[in-house]
Amino acid sequence: MDWIAYVLITAAVAFGIAKKLRLPSIPILVLAGMGLQVLTQKFGISMPASGLQEVIELGLAVLVFTAGIDLTPQKIRSEGRSVILVASCQFFGLGLASLITARLLNYDWMTSLYLASALSASSTLVCIKQLQIRRQRFEPHGRLTTSILLLQDVAIILLLVMLHKLPQGNADALLSVAYSLGVGLIALGLHQWILPWMTTRLKLDDETLMLSSLALLFAFSGLTYLLGLPYLVGAFYAGFALASFPISGLIRGQLQSLSSFFLALFFICIGLSVQPPSSTMLAHSLIFILLLIVVTIPLVSIVAEVVGYSTRSSVETALLLTQTSEFSLLIAATGVASGHISAELFSMITLITISTMALTPLLAQENVAWRLMRLHPRFRRGEKACQQMTNHAVLLGYGRAGKETLRLLEEKNIPAIVIDEDAAVVKQLLDRNIHALQADGSSLRALKLANCPAARFVICSMRRTRDALAALEYLKTSPAQVLVRTFESNEVAMVQAAGGTPIPLADAALEKFLTWFSSQQHSQHKSSLSPIERVPKKSDA
Amino acid sequence: MELSPIQPLVNGGLIILTAAILAVIGQRFRVPSILTYLLAGILLGPLLAWVKIDASLALISELGIALLLFLVGIELSFAKIKDLSRVAILLGGLQIPLTAASGFILASLVGFDWLDAIFLGATVTFSSTVVVMKLLDEKGATNRLYARVAIALFLAQDIVIILALTAMSGIDASNEISWLSILTDLAFAFTGMALLLGFVLIAARYGLPKPFAWAARSSDTVFIWALSWCFIVVFLAHKFHLSVEIGAFLAGIAIAQLPVHEDLHRRLHPLMTLFIAIFLVTLGIKTDITQLVHLWPQVLLFTAFVLLVKPLIIFVILMYQKFNQETAFHAAIAGGQVSEFAFILLALASSAHLIDSQTLALGSFVGIASIAGSAYLIIYSEKIYQWLDQRGFFRAIPEHTASEFAESQPLEQHVIVIGMNALGRKLVHALEQRGESVVAIDTDPNKLKGLGDAETLIGQVEYPSVLEQVAYRQAKLVVSALQIEETNQLVAYRCRSVNVPCAIHAFDHSQIEQLLQLDVDYLITPAIDAVAIQRTLFTQSTS
Repeated sequence: MDWIAYVLITAAVAFGIAKKLRLPSIPILVLAGMGLQVLTQKFGISMPASGLQEVIELGLAVLVFTAGIDLTPQKIRSEGRSVILVASCQFFGLGLASLITARLLNYDWMTSLYLASALSASSTLVCIKQLQIRRQRFEPHGRLTTSILLLQDVAIILLLVMLHKLPQGNADALLSVAYSLGVGLIALGLHQWILPWMTTRLKLDDETLMLSSLALLFAFSGLTYLLGLPYLVGAFYAGFALASFPISGLIRGQLQSLSSFFLALFFICIGLSVQPPSSTMLAHSLIFILLLIVVTIPLVSIVAEVVGYSTRSSVETALLLTQTSEFSLLIAATGVASGHISAELFSMITLITISTMALTPLLAQENVAWRLMRLHPRFRRGEKACQQMTNHAVLLGYGRAGKETLRLLEEKNIPAIVIDEDAAVVKQLLDRNIHALQADGSSLRALKLANCPAARFVICSMRRTRDALAALEYLKTSPAQVLVRTFESNEVAMVQAAGGTPIPLADAALEKFLTWFSSQQHSQHKSSLSPIERVPKKSDA
Repeated sequence: MELSPIQPLVNGGLIILTAAILAVIGQRFRVPSILTYLLAGILLGPLLAWVKIDASLALISELGIALLLFLVGIELSFAKIKDLSRVAILLGGLQIPLTAASGFILASLVGFDWLDAIFLGATVTFSSTVVVMKLLDEKGATNRLYARVAIALFLAQDIVIILALTAMSGIDASNEISWLSILTDLAFAFTGMALLLGFVLIAARYGLPKPFAWAARSSDTVFIWALSWCFIVVFLAHKFHLSVEIGAFLAGIAIAQLPVHEDLHRRLHPLMTLFIAIFLVTLGIKTDITQLVHLWPQVLLFTAFVLLVKPLIIFVILMYQKFNQETAFHAAIAGGQVSEFAFILLALASSAHLIDSQTLALGSFVGIASIAGSAYLIIYSEKIYQWLDQRGFFRAIPEHTASEFAESQPLEQHVIVIGMNALGRKLVHALEQRGESVVAIDTDPNKLKGLGDAETLIGQVEYPSVLEQVAYRQAKLVVSALQIEETNQLVAYRCRSVNVPCAIHAFDHSQIEQLLQLDVDYLITPAIDAVAIQRTLFTQSTS
């Protein structure tokens, strides 16, 4: 048991460093694993190879499984064609670019094909974890990313199965794809009908529910293994089978601990197993990592915006998808097992996968997204008209309530200008003949362009209070009434002190809630009001 | 690196699959999971011979035991020890020696030698915290007085078990047993235990609080830190020739003194559940069922002792302590089974060659039978009590009402607010001002400060035990101010399932439809409500 203690203590140190330096945990865990490898070699501590292998295999299965639980086809259904387009463009575009680059680097066709396959999809595990950390699973880019990942995972599984069986002939390869699709259909059936029905019918306790979920993981892994398919394919399908609500919600808490435990062990063990690559391999790895970044970010950003997503959503999605998948390791292992690629190339693919996974939390940050958004060509249509407007309203940031606010202003016959940094949002507004400026709402240039000093209302919906305060400072001598949406209690006082009128979101919601609560207290039976009457409907706004 | 499944994975898969299938079937018939796991092991091992114990399974079992003891330690905050200590000392102080002595005499009468009789005496003495708490939880009786009394008894038993395990660490049966060597080894073990206890208590007071408070916001960090702390102490225990179990237990006691101990308990619980399930299945695999043919009379005898005599001992002691009949009866019934620690104790004794395989098998069979019987007795204890009462069984026993052991006031008609962001805090303050009894939940201990008289709980509501702990089934209303869509949906689903009204924060339009489908009672929509304020302001300005 000593070696597990060493691994866990190393993981604890890695988590501490990651928290202290505000860095993502995955790269620090891998580095800590490499550090542990050096220390164990120096002090002659033996780490059992079979134990590490088991942790890696079990860890990967659990991580693929738990990531699969977060993928639901309902999300694809709602987004439809656009998701398929973005996912295909990234998968095939990146695959093609990798294939060409590999050929240019003098790899043979088969090796190039493996490299292209390994680099073409993104990691469900990393993206979902990142979205969870940032609490953006249900933002538009979170939904888009999740849907793309699901499609890519299915595609890469089929590719993996084909590559796995290719040495045994085309017929075997096609049969395996058919098997894989068959298992996928079973998973879909469970996901759609059987498991939701069983969840409500059986009412299993937490312990049995967790154990049954893990049993499903092993059942699917066993089934795929018996059919001659890689067991991780089964792990993914098992996760997908459990991805429907409410079962996904009920087991998430139970499986979270397992996922955290195996995440730490897995990446430390990966660090312990990584062999230092040759200088050529290192150089090639760097080329492929750069290629991945250079191709994915513009390709996904452009295609996503073309199919109708906002610039911010498109860029954030692109940044999130900039890494290779956990299935890349499996593809590489399949290549080694069938003799198509060398062990050294396997190390290179592992290095690329780990590095790009480690880079994701650094790339997928809000400030990186904002910087990239500024590279977008500006829409300047109608700027002059905006400068001449008076007695109007200016919306600094379109945000969640932009649509409702515009409708309200239209109702009151108040002309309005929207200032937003998101090019796609501005384009959509301009297409609807609404005055819009593509700019940062806190910049003086934008405030001047919108003729804010002559406005009747300036409504700030920007996230950072300091941006609103900058606008208030500029407008303090103007007659314009500056309304600022505030989120925290301390922001109300800050806005009032700067001469603005706060619109405290929490207070607004609280007042309505208390009115409802009082009415409930007075009515003897809760059912005296129908649910529809009790909830404020979307159209009420 | 090869990525094809290897034997341990296949073994693990078979164990989990079989355990899950039997657990699902078992739940239909209210058979406790511990029993289904043992049966799964008997099926996979002695009956079908599909799984053989290898190093990986042994390691997982060891991890499971360590985690179980770690969690037992995490339960023991100083406040809890103080609260239960009086009942624990009086009840445990009498029940443990009386039951152990009776068990020892019974085993000796049946013909076991003195060492086997000691271990059989110990086996029938201890009760299972895991089984009883799980059953009481299912009955919704964890807040009842008899549940607290049972917990106090189990606390005393846990401490004695730790002492027994320490003693086991001190006995090296590979050498020839002599009293002098046993005493020397015991002295070494207890000195090591005392030193380690001192170390963890100092760490609990000075070393751990600040780092854990710093890391509290990062759930993964706290979780891995707690696990690695457990293994550091286990490592030190190993250096003192103490068992893994003792190290893990002492590590848990240190964590129990931290504000995040309850949250950590919940996070570690699923991991422990999985590993301990595998441990119990492996116990079943190792069970020699051929022994049952010869041992069944002894099995029946000892099971009857555990199910009838042991509860009777507890009942008499509780009546002597002036508890009322009903409380004493239910608490006594709760104590009528063999503990999972008995399996650990017997397994350790067997590996140290202190007992033979017959005693090990007998202990296991009695464990299985008594847990099965006890589960049904606990589930139907109210009906059994009424039945006995109607037939005048308690007429001769004087009735007491012990004022110092009153039933605790359970939470009822309270409002639960989840998520202490600006909205959540405002909701708590406003509801408190209206005289409501409010319980606030958040994962960050700092956000739970300054909430007036509201009760607070650190925890993540994805874990069902969090909502159970705040008695959400009895709540007047559950409010989620969280900005996490999937958690909000889960809260709404859970509330609907038990018909408790809920108000959920719909922070984005995209969530409204899904929440309406879940039939929430009220949607909190700050973005929309703020537009209403804007409307008023525009109207005032234009008029």
